[in-house]
Amino acid sequence: MTQDAYGSVPALRTDRLGRRYGKVWGLRDCTLEVPAGAVAAVVGPNGAGKTTLLEMIIGLLEPTEGRVDVFGQTSRADTARSLGRVGYVAQDHPLYRDFTVADMFHLGRAMNPSWDQNLADARMDALSIPVNRKIRRLSGGQQAQVSLTMALAKRAPLLVLDEPVSSLDPVARLDFMRDVMAIAADQALTFLISSHVVAELERYCDWLIILSAGHVQLAGPADELLAAHQLLTVPRATPDADLPGTVIQRTDSDRHSTVLVRAGADQFAGYGRPSWQADPVSFEQLIMAYLQRRPSPRSYDNPAPAAERPGTPAKEVTR
Amino acid sequence: MTWVTWRQHRTQAMACLALLAALAVYAIIEGTSMRTAFSNDNLAGCLARSQGTGCPAAVSDFTGAFGSAVNIAFWSVCLIIPGLIGVLVGGSLVARELEYGTWRLAWSQTVPRTRWLGVKLALVTGGLIAVGAAMTAVITWYRAPMDRVVGHLYQNVYDYEGLVLTAYILCAFGFAVLAGLLIRRSIPAMIAAFIPWLAIRLVIEFVFRDHFMAPLTTTTGTCVQNSPQVHCGTGIGVVPPDTGHIGDLVLSMNGNLVTYQPASRFWPFQFIEAGIFVALTAAALGATIWLLHRRAAWTA
Repeated sequence: MTQDAYGSVPALRTDRLGRRYGKVWGLRDCTLEVPAGAVAAVVGPNGAGKTTLLEMIIGLLEPTEGRVDVFGQTSRADTARSLGRVGYVAQDHPLYRDFTVADMFHLGRAMNPSWDQNLADARMDALSIPVNRKIRRLSGGQQAQVSLTMALAKRAPLLVLDEPVSSLDPVARLDFMRDVMAIAADQALTFLISSHVVAELERYCDWLIILSAGHVQLAGPADELLAAHQLLTVPRATPDADLPGTVIQRTDSDRHSTVLVRAGADQFAGYGRPSWQADPVSFEQLIMAYLQRRPSPRSYDNPAPAAERPGTPAKEVTR
Repeated sequence: MTWVTWRQHRTQAMACLALLAALAVYAIIEGTSMRTAFSNDNLAGCLARSQGTGCPAAVSDFTGAFGSAVNIAFWSVCLIIPGLIGVLVGGSLVARELEYGTWRLAWSQTVPRTRWLGVKLALVTGGLIAVGAAMTAVITWYRAPMDRVVGHLYQNVYDYEGLVLTAYILCAFGFAVLAGLLIRRSIPAMIAAFIPWLAIRLVIEFVFRDHFMAPLTTTTGTCVQNSPQVHCGTGIGVVPPDTGHIGDLVLSMNGNLVTYQPASRFWPFQFIEAGIFVALTAAALGATIWLLHRRAAWTA
């Protein structure tokens, strides 16, 4: 059994996980670990492989290669044992629209041996959602809450939420995520939440996984990742080779360049020049920089020469 | 899972019960008057004594009065009803989940999808067998007097008695469940299942059924060409048919050589035809279970 730095079994561990659809790889070479109790964000543009990764973790989809361990046990797709360990809120929170909320819970009870009816009822009470109302009469936010409640009442230690708020209005979005936070803090559950909405994530997540073009670009504890990146403002002429660490993204303007580098603060200290300025990077800047990188997973450290576009007063060169 | 299946199919179950109730009302009204006429005309005795030859007027009065209601036009339309029941119930079973995205909900609970499908198929198939058997029982009961006069081997009777009605429903159901998994949309799946069902149904009825077993021949035919007094013809429009036995199905006549299927073959024929449709059902449902099981390897 693999143990993480804190001495307990990780909630989730994937090992060179890959999934091919026909000739196209939807996800490849995905190795990552999420400790128990984390709220992990899986971030990436549409088509990055988020849903593919999540479906393999849940046990809805069989990996083409590699494997998924949930709390130290290897998952096998479509087996009661694997399905029972993960609670899942699918994108657009599908529910049976002609069912009442009570019917949905009856289904949950019928299909999950560890179902917690008290939890389900208590949450509906707390949210003032009438259980005898049909699903189609509920607002989008309420439907999302019913979906989340179904996943929680399954009493699975790992919860996977696929774009849980993308179809919600800003208020419902805030309420929903606030609830997730409270539950995570309260019940020591592990959450894996996919999103393409980058803003707001900082407040909710303590673990970050950035996916793009079917590959993991960056994964780890959010605070450590933030500490390991610096946003430098340097004279435009400064070549990449003079900069500390690895250049993730470089934006050239008339006189200065703004460069996001992956380098620890100590690493940077040795390089410091009077004309350089170093700032901590924000969560959103970090994610955007990685998502805008050209997806070439094997060659992070050998970026191609920047293309010049003469005549443009301020141009961006994004790698 | 039993509750889940019931909850998702209870509207269809109610619709089937309503259909059965309507059929029962019709059967009681029509069947009662048929029984009254049958006993008033004293047909039972006449049939027993002479296979109907002794009372041609009573026989033709009876078939004239009730034949049209029980026969061709009405029952030809009804031919599609078992197919409609089957595809309406089967078309939504898997396709609806795929259409509305609820498969992600249904298949991520602590029940593997093959078990989910297996339980649903078992229960819904059981329900359809009950519906088919009940419809068959109602139709057989109310047609009983007519069957004693003309038998039940010809198409518009044979199709609604015995085993085949239930088998037709099951076959349409199986086709629709499979089509639903492949097409992922309910209405197109229903149409895609109904067309081959109807084609197979008609081809078996009009091409193969008469030859399930080699027809018999007899030379006791009473047909004499150009003689208005004597019945002449194939099918069942004649009492008794030209073999002289009620219920025999005359296929062709050549002079006094009669080619026919004897009335006693009703049940063997029912078993053969129901067997064909049940085998088709099993193949379609087996393919559905296998495809759904393999689906996790192809796509979620």
